[in-house]
Amino acid sequence: MTNYILALILGLFFGLSLQKAGLTKYHKIVNVFRFTDMAVLKFMMTALIVSMTGLYILKWMGVITFPGVPATYIAGNVIGGLIFGVGMAFSGYCPGTCVAGAGEGKLDYLVPGLLGFTTGAAIYGLIYPQVFPKISAIANFGSAIMPELWNVSAALVIAFFTLFSLLLFYLIDRNQMQRQDKLAINNERLTVNG
Amino acid sequence: MDRLKEQFQKEEWSPYAAGVLLGIVGILAVWLSDSLLGASGAFENLAGAIGQTVAPQLFDNLYFNYVMRPEITWSGVLLIGIFFGGMVGALSSRTWKLRLNSDEQWKQVFGPSWPKRWLFAFLGAIVLEIGAGIAGGCTSGLAISGGMLLAPAAFIFIGAMFASGIATAWLVYGRRF
Repeated sequence: MTNYILALILGLFFGLSLQKAGLTKYHKIVNVFRFTDMAVLKFMMTALIVSMTGLYILKWMGVITFPGVPATYIAGNVIGGLIFGVGMAFSGYCPGTCVAGAGEGKLDYLVPGLLGFTTGAAIYGLIYPQVFPKISAIANFGSAIMPELWNVSAALVIAFFTLFSLLLFYLIDRNQMQRQDKLAINNERLTVNG
Repeated sequence: MDRLKEQFQKEEWSPYAAGVLLGIVGILAVWLSDSLLGASGAFENLAGAIGQTVAPQLFDNLYFNYVMRPEITWSGVLLIGIFFGGMVGALSSRTWKLRLNSDEQWKQVFGPSWPKRWLFAFLGAIVLEIGAGIAGGCTSGLAISGGMLLAPAAFIFIGAMFASGIATAWLVYGRRF
């Protein structure tokens, strides 16, 4: 029971962070794929830096053990990711951001989103016995983590990821990759001229 | 204190500030609940529950009986929290509003018709949930939760997701890319 209450509270802050980062907006998600607004990338990478650092420190202190690590089976991760990206660019959301957006009163998130996910889940569950064993058998490393797989120090991986992210943030801001959207520019013109 | 309240009420935070919050939530989920954040899995439990009620024979398979059983899980409750988190966020900035078609960019590019938006969104949702199933999770369950544990799967997934997202946006938006 305590665990369910925790889930509810953690979910609340999870949804809040998605909402405040602007990820419950169609254009925010789509525009990261168009290189006109990189906030989604900054948000995700910041979350990763904070959580990987915190979790590995807690692990070294012996406070936690890792729960079921998501499995690496390269063909499945790639094919699933490719399919996922198509859906994300079409709908402008992913399962988490859609639910948070539904909470904002967005009916184009609440109705077609939740119906679509449930339908997709049903389809996947029905084709699972035919599809999954084949795909997951290719290049399967199981619940692998990089430090164990490649025998490198986790601190080194985290330091590398952090430096890589900071460099990316710097390049995004310096090169104006967050360039103004063409639509926004057109709008400004309309306002100025009209 | 007033300044903090003012910051909280902003419609959008800096992505770095919101990212730090998500990172802390991710740590607490493992520390306090021994669980990983995730959103796509709960829909599979739900689909199983509905399917086994409507068409018991069809949904009596390996997946819905053993892999994702029709039950209320930790991530199912998490999803309810996410819904209210989005609500609290929008209420705090006074942007909560019932809308059929919520995005200005969408309307400018594809027209004001909401059934068109709903159709795109519905098909997109089906596709991405199937993708999440094959990949082993979605943006939260695999990309964030796997990434923070340093699972290679997460970074492979993020790469593939961005590659096809960029290609799809390019196809859909054409010259407006």
